[in-house]
Amino acid sequence: MAEVILKRLVKTFGSVPAVDDVSLQIPDGEFLVLLGPSGCGKSTILRLIAGLEDATSGEIVIGDELVNFIDPTRRNLAMVFQNYALYPHMSVRKNVAFPLETAKMPRHKITEAVSKAAAMLEIDEFLDRLPEQLSGGQRQRVALARAIVREPKIFLMDEPLSNLDAKLRLQTRIELMSLHERLGITTIYVTHDQIEAMTMGQRIAVLHEGRLQQVGPPTEVYDVPANKFVATFMGAPPMNLMDGELQQSDANWMFIREGYRLQVDQEQMRIAQSALANAVGEVSLGVRPEDMRLGDLGSNGLPGIVRFLEPIGSDLYVTVSVESHSVQVRMPPKTKVSIGDKVKIEFDLGKAHLFDSSQNNLRLS
Amino acid sequence: MFLAFRPWKKEGKLNYMDAVRPKESLKSSPSYARGKSRYIFANRFRALFAYLVLLFFVAFAVGPVLYLISPALRDSISLFDYPPKIIPDEPTLDNFRFLFDSTRYLSWALNTIIYAAGTTIISLFTNVLAGYAFARLQFPGRNLLFFLVLSTLMVPVAAVLAPTYLMVREIGELPIIGRPFFGLDTYLGLILPCTVSPLGVFMMRQFISTLPVGLYEAARLDGASEWRILFKIVLPLIKPALVVLGIFVFMITWANFLWPLVAASGDDYRVLTVGIASLKGQFVTHWGVLAAASLMTLIPVTIVFLFFQKWFVQASMAGALKQ
Amino acid sequence: MSKSPDYFNSGVPTGQEAWAKLELSSQEYRKNASRYRLRYLTRASGFLAPYMILWLAFLAIPVGWAIFLSFNDGGVLDPRYWVGFDNWARTFDDSELTQVVINTSLFVVLAITIVFGLAIFLASLINNHRRGENFFKVTLYFPLLAPPILGAMIWHFMLHFDFGIVNLITRGLFGWEGVNFLGKNPTALFAIIAVEIWRGLGFWVLFYLAGLQSVPGELLEAAKLDGARGLRRFIRISVPVLRPLFLFALVIAIIMNFQLFDSVKILTDGGPRMGTATIVWFIYRRMFAFQDTGLAFSASVGLLIGTMLLTLLCFWLLGRGRKRES
Repeated sequence: MAEVILKRLVKTFGSVPAVDDVSLQIPDGEFLVLLGPSGCGKSTILRLIAGLEDATSGEIVIGDELVNFIDPTRRNLAMVFQNYALYPHMSVRKNVAFPLETAKMPRHKITEAVSKAAAMLEIDEFLDRLPEQLSGGQRQRVALARAIVREPKIFLMDEPLSNLDAKLRLQTRIELMSLHERLGITTIYVTHDQIEAMTMGQRIAVLHEGRLQQVGPPTEVYDVPANKFVATFMGAPPMNLMDGELQQSDANWMFIREGYRLQVDQEQMRIAQSALANAVGEVSLGVRPEDMRLGDLGSNGLPGIVRFLEPIGSDLYVTVSVESHSVQVRMPPKTKVSIGDKVKIEFDLGKAHLFDSSQNNLRLS
Repeated sequence: MFLAFRPWKKEGKLNYMDAVRPKESLKSSPSYARGKSRYIFANRFRALFAYLVLLFFVAFAVGPVLYLISPALRDSISLFDYPPKIIPDEPTLDNFRFLFDSTRYLSWALNTIIYAAGTTIISLFTNVLAGYAFARLQFPGRNLLFFLVLSTLMVPVAAVLAPTYLMVREIGELPIIGRPFFGLDTYLGLILPCTVSPLGVFMMRQFISTLPVGLYEAARLDGASEWRILFKIVLPLIKPALVVLGIFVFMITWANFLWPLVAASGDDYRVLTVGIASLKGQFVTHWGVLAAASLMTLIPVTIVFLFFQKWFVQASMAGALKQ
Repeated sequence: MSKSPDYFNSGVPTGQEAWAKLELSSQEYRKNASRYRLRYLTRASGFLAPYMILWLAFLAIPVGWAIFLSFNDGGVLDPRYWVGFDNWARTFDDSELTQVVINTSLFVVLAITIVFGLAIFLASLINNHRRGENFFKVTLYFPLLAPPILGAMIWHFMLHFDFGIVNLITRGLFGWEGVNFLGKNPTALFAIIAVEIWRGLGFWVLFYLAGLQSVPGELLEAAKLDGARGLRRFIRISVPVLRPLFLFALVIAIIMNFQLFDSVKILTDGGPRMGTATIVWFIYRRMFAFQDTGLAFSASVGLLIGTMLLTLLCFWLLGRGRKRES
């Protein structure tokens, strides 16, 4: 068990940077999720930590040891691969025992450790089968057993759930979390699925094009996205963004777009005076669908026309076109609205975000 | 159409007819019946022709070896009798007796086994190691080195026969590693130069790189050294490829004539091919003995072949198709 | 967006010791990195050494040595001395060498044409008439079990003037005197070709059969619907599929056949009157019988260069074919 520190980590393939100056500290026992679209460098970071790739520059510390120049065989960490990488010619028992036999553990201890891990993951029934005779979920559990059996310093998981069907994924998610709770081993978990990230991670690190965008607890990342990328990547449907202009008139700050003016309340939106002053000019206003509602025509909302209705049972998603933009609004399922209606969209200023021209969120917290 | 050409497969023919599907009324017309029987006749005739041709070539392939039985069981002089007696009146085993009593056939056979088995084992060993390094290990200059090795794939063995002979002779004169371990007329001198074909390295590299990379990486993270990965993970998974390469090397080696002829001409290290060739004398040849020797040599190989024919075929194809 | 340290400082206590570890000077870092990379090399060399040493000693160095010795005389039994291009000059006007090059080329062209033609024909027969496929495969392959010199021995009993079965049959049936196959030109060369075809036919049948059976079923179905039949369909469907295979087979066959030696040595020993002498037979003779090593080495290098050029030509054709298809 150990803390993991990445300092200014860079990995380039040829001239293409896959990981670009990433610094991250993962305290002992934490469950950290690396989240991002495919090709954002999250798997590369995992492989750098594992030692399967060599960093171009930067440092990796596990525990209190600089591991850049330590062989992956001796870093004492376990990895669960997307396709499990079970040894096809070995029985489940042999698979799980392999890391221990490699470490030349005495035979009776191996038997003990294997049966303990097997019991924990409920794979004792098929210890003598070959991997090809197992279902996807069972293989997944064997891979986990092989990972935990030698009590590694840290766990690395590379999209371990992506080969499972939806129902099994839900179940395994819970199992993984309880496993982490019981063992308390530092876990770094790579996924592109934001639901997985939100439910499992104690903290989430969002990556985009090899760069770290934001790190924080799930709610923080969701509620106060650091920039436009995080804002649109987290949440489905994504946060609505509307372009406009920030102007100062008298003592007031105004968000202005055609047919719409909004007074920006620093207090409510929790934006510093200086930040607003710097952001004067083109900005984007962002509000999540669940923070919006359809108001009556007399109100002071964004004017638009209803284009689509998507009832999903628990909610009704209404797509409204506002000038050239389209905005999604989440409403209660039985809302009376029909396509073509003219509506005005209202929202809480306290839940709105303002992104400056370099895409950063101006909000403080 | 391919189906239709198989007269023994009734369904196949019907399927073809289905595809054409003439109207019921047409089917009962006399011209239809004539057409159908002509069609069937044409197919039968084609098949007959095909099998006659094939059987002719089967006879061409197997006949010469089967015919050996006759001269092997006759005394050599009677070969020249006219009219010929293909089935001998009094079959004799004299030729075989001569082979064992007056030649060193058994010693040749033993040398052949040592030569071919040694070459196979050493080739497999070196090829697997090098193939693994080229497939999985990272090291500077890997591609350049592999290109160099591959570029010697097309070197005809006969073109380097003479310098290889010189190399073996010169190394044999060196202290410590030279005679009696290595040199002309030693087993290692015979074997080692036959183990250098880049084909095996190339095949092994291909096979190893088709294994999922994840297995290799998982094993590394499980703490296994490269040697342990090779022996515990890679080798069990490429066993079929090893068998194929092994048979391939063995077959090529034991059939080799030119290299043993120059490298081990001495009596003690003579192999079967060179030994049998020496039976064909400059002036007098005991043809019966030659036939007996050829037969004796082919019988064990044929038995092994009949048991493992699939592997043999794969092995000879492997050399050709795996590139 | 910001990659500043305040992200990972948010709410998490920083382990001071661990941070201290990070303070590696760039010089130290580079030193460690290169030492680490060197370990890759040492580890790999353990795997590569056994093969590479043998490869150097018995393949790479001999190639170089052959080239070097082709500019020298002696060097085998007599002392070596530099003669420059003398051997090469002799190479081009040695009548014996000209003869063996012609013989070998003739052999290569005839043997490959006949064996490939027969193999493709037989393979498509087997492919069209699947009953007994395995029997034909096994029996046709069988001669390959015999080493070439055994093949040559066996064929003595077929072609010998006095007791060869071919002559016995013609004598018995037609009362002819028979043909002295091995004692005359050009029948001696034909005899050698027959032996090589006997040994190689099965292999090439299996080779082309594998190729034919890899023709996708849909393609054949489509051709059937288009009404293509027999030879036409073979040319339109199977030939394009076999083409790359064919060129590849050609490379292998050329390399193998240019090294023809064993059956020549046994059946005719180059005779009669050099009518079946091949390049390798010539090299062997000059090297080990005549001790004319200079010419033996220049002929070796010539064989090497010739084979390589032909191989490259075939690969070039192969590459061009692929490009056109895509």
